[in-house]
This record gives sequence, structure tokens and C-alpha cells, in this order.
Amino acid sequence: MPDYFFEIVAEEIPAWMHDAAIATLQESLQRLCADLGASGAHVLVNSTPRRIAFVLPSLPAREEDRDQEVKGPPKKIAYDASGNPTAALEGFLRKNEAKPADVIDSGDEYIRIRKRIAGRSTDERLGERIPQIVESLRWPKMMRWGNGEYSWIRPVHSVVSLLDEVPVPVEIFGIRSGTKTVGHRTLAPRPIEVRSYNDYVTKLELARVVVDALRRRHVMAERARVLALQVGGTPSLDATIWAQWQYLTEYPGVVRAEFRKEFLALPEEVLVTVMRVHQKQLPIRNESGQLTNSFLAVIDNEADPDGNAAYGNAFVTNARFADAEFFYETDRRKRLEDRLEQLSHLQFQEKLGNYLEKTKRIEKIVATICHELKVEERDVVTAAHLCKADLVTEMVKEFTDLQGKIGGIYAREEGCPEGVWQAIYDHYLPQNIDDELPRTWGGAVVSLADKIDTLVGFFSVGIRPTGSRDPFGLRRAAQGIVQVLLNRDKRQVRIGVDRLIVIAAHAYGGEAERIKPDLLEFIAERVRTLLETSKYNLAYDEIAAAMEAGWATSLTDLVDRIQALKDMRDQANFLSVLDSAKRIANITAGHEAGRVDPKLLEHDVEKRLARHSEELGKQIDELISERQYRHALETFAAMAPELEKFFDEVMVMVDNQAVRQNRMSLLRNIGDAVKRVADVTRIVVDRRDYRA
Amino acid sequence: MPRVSFQSLILTLQNFWAERGCMIETPIDLEVGAGTMHPATFLRVLGPEPWRVGYVQPSRRPADGRYGDNPFRLGKHYQFQVILKPSPLEVQDVYLDSLRALGLDLVRHDIRFEEDNWESPTLGAWGMGWQVLLDGMEITQFTYFQQAGGIDLAPISAEITYGIERLTMFLARQASIFDIEWGAGFGYGPVRKQEEFEFSKYYFETADVDLHWRLLDAYEGEAKRCFEAGLVLPAYEWTLKCSHVFNTLDARGAISVTERVGVIKRVRDLAVRCAQQYLASREALGFPLLRRDSAAPAATHA
Repeated sequence: MPDYFFEIVAEEIPAWMHDAAIATLQESLQRLCADLGASGAHVLVNSTPRRIAFVLPSLPAREEDRDQEVKGPPKKIAYDASGNPTAALEGFLRKNEAKPADVIDSGDEYIRIRKRIAGRSTDERLGERIPQIVESLRWPKMMRWGNGEYSWIRPVHSVVSLLDEVPVPVEIFGIRSGTKTVGHRTLAPRPIEVRSYNDYVTKLELARVVVDALRRRHVMAERARVLALQVGGTPSLDATIWAQWQYLTEYPGVVRAEFRKEFLALPEEVLVTVMRVHQKQLPIRNESGQLTNSFLAVIDNEADPDGNAAYGNAFVTNARFADAEFFYETDRRKRLEDRLEQLSHLQFQEKLGNYLEKTKRIEKIVATICHELKVEERDVVTAAHLCKADLVTEMVKEFTDLQGKIGGIYAREEGCPEGVWQAIYDHYLPQNIDDELPRTWGGAVVSLADKIDTLVGFFSVGIRPTGSRDPFGLRRAAQGIVQVLLNRDKRQVRIGVDRLIVIAAHAYGGEAERIKPDLLEFIAERVRTLLETSKYNLAYDEIAAAMEAGWATSLTDLVDRIQALKDMRDQANFLSVLDSAKRIANITAGHEAGRVDPKLLEHDVEKRLARHSEELGKQIDELISERQYRHALETFAAMAPELEKFFDEVMVMVDNQAVRQNRMSLLRNIGDAVKRVADVTRIVVDRRDYRA
Repeated sequence: MPRVSFQSLILTLQNFWAERGCMIETPIDLEVGAGTMHPATFLRVLGPEPWRVGYVQPSRRPADGRYGDNPFRLGKHYQFQVILKPSPLEVQDVYLDSLRALGLDLVRHDIRFEEDNWESPTLGAWGMGWQVLLDGMEITQFTYFQQAGGIDLAPISAEITYGIERLTMFLARQASIFDIEWGAGFGYGPVRKQEEFEFSKYYFETADVDLHWRLLDAYEGEAKRCFEAGLVLPAYEWTLKCSHVFNTLDARGAISVTERVGVIKRVRDLAVRCAQQYLASREALGFPLLRRDSAAPAATHA
């Protein structure tokens, strides 16, 4: 069974795009293998900055021959009166290179023949499919080159395409495949003839290219560890940096450099951001976890014998730090408080005014939340007051991703209490699902206030995300709110989304409240999405069922109800909860709940049910107020036998309207009691799971 | 490595690219923020006419001025700009050869091409490419132009922009731009420091804000008059002047965020119109440079 090997050499592909592109490619190639008759084959894809290589192992040499039925003329014109083939049939047979004997009995009014179709060879099919797959690979950003007729991530230079050492000619963006690749751009820039993947890996290694990304990463990790150890430290563990480094080199290497010690006086966050984000370098920390003036940088070479790369990296980093130091010193000449006026020149959004106005709204929101939750507000409101002031510092203008943190650091240096500076520092958190929450209650409140103000504002001027476009990060803001509100430790903010919207709308002058339904639905979507992620791992139908009973007053309460459903779901009596609820829902559809008139009750079963339902209602109410949702559901389940009896013996849809209405109300009241926990009819069950 | 000066670097690059079939242009005699704004780039990348050019361009960025105090930053720096249209497939290799020509043994240095895309809102232009890192330091911007003046380009031009002070500083192992040698024993610092100081002071503290707002209006008006008169090249020069006035006002801190968006749009509208009108004017002339190959001897290396 032959292996297919393919390599494409292009100009440097951006590091951050590799993983996704490889995953997409792997998927299409896996499908191709299945089509070629090798389903389940393990497709191997590897890439370096300049090349993507893959192997499709153990492909059959050709597709199997198969029979195909071909429809011909109607039977009635195919034969003449004496049963001989007519010209119509003969023509059809001739066209298909068939004999009269090939006609099969089709059972309908048409002539059919069975035709043998020879399977095509695998190389022919590869020659057709590979260019399609490679050329149609989607990149986050595409470009054109040369005469501009092709579009890909970068210009393509060469292609190797071999089925067990035999070339399979393909043409990709005008480049014809051959058997030659090329070595490292500067260390071994020569053409290399290759015969197979193994041959390729071996020869490229000699030509200073390590094809396997993971191996490059391991080599660099080990080198980084040793270099850091030499100065008594350890490199920061930083998955983002490693993920980039492995795609920034073909021949993996790491170099250690030192920046000027005096820069250690700058805030650590600034040093780390400059190194990590701007320079893609790894800081080194000493045994006690403190930053040292040594750092690591990636190089596309195994070593740096003349110290050129160490010199260059130190040079650039010192230059960056010199700038940062200049900003830091300039900034500190002015207190945050004195910067607020400047915020009035910084636009938040065209129709929503400037950042000073936003600041005032955040203060108002924070003050209201504190007041409603009866929490001492001074520090939190001070934090809100100063939280945006760093936007007009030189440091944040240069290093935007440090917004918030810089404000926090400056506030700390101005002597603000911990409760103030930490809340400023943290108020952009959380930025994504794995992000930390603000470390204090106050930080959580400022974070909520900032985000809800943004959402209410943008929604009220008609800006909301469409499709994948969300330039103002509104989804992220909504998700951040949900994450903060789901938290239950000492930082828990006991407020509901609906209340937050009203408070924020009030800060805008109240008129914004009209967008509440839309915004609630928008946030509800985030709640659903977030709770379904592996972090919370809740089932879609449980979330939907519990949200139907309300979610906007308390998200932690929502999770409690979902949890109750989840626990209850595995129990045998859950089916009776479900069946009862469904029966009630079906029969009372469209009926408004009403009072049950005891005088209209006729049967004993009915009277008993009415009595119990009253007790049930009270019990469930009590349990709900104690948040005993599991018990509430069980109480409902206990009613099941009686309900069943009722349905067996009492006819609801009687002609007497008053009696009918009364029975419907009775059922409805029972149904509504459980609906305060969840709309269990939304739960999807597989009944087989419940068989003993 | 021989002694490297600012001037030796310029001479080497000029000769190198001349030998590879580039016409050597001179800088545009107006204030511009980058070599890209020279008509030899911004206008020539439009349309089907082939083009190969190299030139030095003094680039003024008022907001980057540091009064001559910062060893790495200048309010006016020099770029060496190369445009190859259409972009040849071997362009990266030729570029690496230019570094070798500067005396760099690339086996002993770390060279990487890291993604860096370029976009100019005032020119309605963008491209994709890299910053070229030499031992971790950015020495060149390498861009495949995709759009200019809002017009999709074909053929595509490769733009190579060397930051020549930085490169000299690095090759000469100097810790400050002001310590490099310009040439013939003249130092960059003694030649330029006064200019850096005075222009920083001018752009940040002295420039007459009202005058500049009036200039912006006047230049814009004149550009429009030129469009009406069918004179696109003068219109383009007035557009460049608008752009510099904008940069001056910006450095002076005289433009609020709201105004900023508006002014950028005014300049971009002019640039877009220049691009459109230039393309139309070249078409009317029958794209004269399409005939370049028959009129000139073939390039030695291209």
C-alpha cells in the first residue's frame, strides 16, 4: 500500500495561523483518504514557517471497479413487434459499448444495463484533489502577489508530490510539482532532492530544518531551561510564547540576553508586557520568583557563537525600556485625579460621549449597587472614579494592553488603599473564559459597572454584534458580566442582570431602558453558551429548562436549579415528573391559570388532587424560598400517582364549560408550581436509560 | 566587516539595487512621513505598468521627535525604499543578498521574517508582509501592496523599506543614533542634532495651530482645484502637504479624537481621488511604461 508525500514551500507564514490551518487541512485530508478507500488512516501534517508537509499513509493503488446501472430508452420502443432490438436500443447499446445480453430486468418501463466502471488509479485522483484542497485552504488573511492572479497566505515557491517515490504531477498556483525542496533560508539555502517523507525529514535535518513543530518546541524548551539555570533562574511558563516560537524557526534555538539592571525599577507588568507581547521574549525569574534582568529570545539557528543575537536582542529591549522609562517618569508627574479633565477629550463612542461622562456613569452605577447591597461604598466609588484615568497616560497610549493595570500601579504609588488600586487594576477582567476574575469584591463591581454601561450604551444607539463581527467586544463584555455574576466566593456580587440593566439605563438618564428585552436576550445567549462550555459542563436542555423559569434575577440561583435538574435526572422518578408535566402542559395549553372552585369538583379523585395541590403549592413555594430545588422537584414527583389516577378517571374536556375550566385551572396550578424551578418539558430524555 | 557609515550604507544599497534593474530616484522635495508617499511608490504601484525603483527618502514624523535626547528615536529619519512591480518570486532572496552586500555574514546572524501588515488610513492603502528582524531588531519593512487609494492592485508590488539609521547603528555597534558616522568623518549627531531639537520644539511647542488649520483648508482647496483642472500630480503634492499639516497638528496636540477621524477622512478622500485620477490619466496616455523593456537595456540581474 503506497504512501503519498506532499510538501509546499511558501514565504514565511504568520506563526499564529499554523495550528488552525493544520487542523483544517488535516480534516480535508482525512476526508480525502476516506474517499480514496483508506478511511481511518492517520494523516500526518507538519509545518515550519516556510513549509507545510503531509503524508497520507497506506493508500490503495486504485479505486475498486464497480457496477453501475445505466437507464436507456423505454421498453416499448426498444423492441419491435417480433421482439428484435430497434434502432433506439441498438444506438443506446452502442453508446455504452454493451451487448443485448447486458440488458437487465429492471422491473420498470425502461431498458437498463449494468455497466462495469473501471476504478481510477490513486495517483490520478490525487492529482485532481490535492491542488483543490491546498489552494482552497482558508487563511484568516489572504494576499496576492506577482501578477495578482492567485490568493493565499503568502507566495508559493515549490511543491513536492510523491506516491511511493513516484512523482504525482500537480500544479498549485502555477507552480508545477517536482522532487526538489530547499534547505534553511540562510544556513543551507540549497535545493534538495527527496524520495519519501522519511528521506525528506532526514535530509532536511542536515539542511538545518526540523520539520516537526513539537520537536522544535522541545529543543527550545530544554535550551531555555539550561540557559535560565546558568543564571540561577527559570523561564516563565508561557504557553502563548511557546506556541509562537515553534513556528518562528525552522532550526530551533534560544539565546539569553541581559537588559540594563536599572530598568528593573520599572513596574514588572511593563517589563513583562514589553518582553512578551512586543518582543516575543521570555522573562527569567529567580528562585524567589522575582524578575531578573536576563531574558530569552528565539533564534532560527542552534546557537549564537558570536553573541550577535544576544547583542541585538538586548539592544532592542533596552531601547524599548528606555521609552517605557520616559513614559513612566512623565506620567508620574501628574496624579490620576488630575487627568480626569483630559478624559473629556477622549471619545468613548460618537453618540455616547467621552470617557469623563462614562466615568461618571460608572461611579453612579457602582454607588447604586453598593447602596442596594448595603456595602460600604467609599473605596469602590473612588476606584470607579479613577478607573479610566490611565487611558490618557503615555504608558497606556504606547502599551494599550496594560490599560487598567497601569492605572492600578499608579494609584498604588500615589498611596491609594489596596481596595482602591486593586479594583482599578483588575476592572477589565475577565477578558476571556479562562481569565481570572477581579481579586476583590470592589473590583468585581467596577468590572460589572464598566461592562454593563458599555452594553446598555451601545445597544441604545443601535450598535450590536452581527455575525462574527464584534468590533467593540460586546460579546466579551456580556460574557465577562456573566462570569463575574456566576462566582460564589467572597467576591460574589448578589445582583441580577435585569437589575444591572435598569441601574445602567438610569445612569444614562433612564430612556435606555427600552433596550432591556434585546439586551436580556443577548446576555441570555452568553449565559447559555458559557454554561455549556467545558468549564461548567451543563447540558443544553437543562439550561434551557431552568432558564425558562427565570435567570435574570440571579445567575447563581439559575445554576442551583440546573444542578437540581441534573441530579434529579438520573433518578427513576424523574420520568414521572416529566410525564406529569408534559401531560399538564398539553392539556392546559392556552389556558390561563385561575382559582379552583371547590363547588365544581365532582369526583373524589379530583377533590383529593385539589386538596393536595394546594399543599403541594405551599410546599414547593417554601422549598423554593429555601432554594431546596431538588426537594421541590421530588415533591412534585410524589404527586405523580395521584395525577395519573386523575387522568385515568376524570375527563377534563367535558362539555360543561365551567367544570372544564375548573379542571384545567386545577392542573395548571400544579404545573405552574413546578415551573418555578424549571420548565421540565424541555428536557430531552432517552427512555431506555430509565429501564431497571 | 569594513567600517560602516550612514553614507556607505546608502551607496551600497543604491548600487546593489541599480545592479538589479532598479532605477535610482531622488527623494521627493516635500515633507512626507514615509517613502511610501513618494509618487514613485504611491502612484506608480497603481495600474499595469511595471516599475522598479530605489531611493532614499527623509521621513518626517513630528510626533516621534525627542529633542535629540533619545538614542533610538528621531523626528526625521531616513528610509531606503525599493519598489519591485510585479513582485518577483525571488524577492526575499534578493533582499537577503542586499544584506550580504552590506557585509553581513547571515550564517552568523539571526534573520527572521515576522508577520507585520501595513495599513495607512490616510492613503487608503494596505499590504501584507513582515518586519525583517536582524538579531531580534527590526531593520526592514517588507510589504506586498494589496490596495492603494482604495484601488485593488494588480500586478502586486513588493515594497522593501530599510530603516537606514538603525541599520547603520547596529552594523557599527553604536549605542546611539547620534554616535554613527554620516560619512567622510562627519558624525550624524553633529550634523543633525540641532535639527532634531529645533523641530521637536517647533512641532510640539511652537507651531501656530490656527495657521495650520488654515493651511489645511487652503491646501485641500488647492488640491481640489487641481483635480478640476485635470492636474493630478500637483493635486497629489497638495495632498501630501495636507498630510504633513495633519501630522504637525497631531504632534502639537491640537486635534481631538473626534476631529482626528474627520481630518484623516479629508486627507484620505484626496488620496483616493488622486489614485483614481492618476490611473485614468495613465490609461489616457496608453500606460507609457508598458513599453519600458524595448526602450531600455535589460537589467543585469533581474
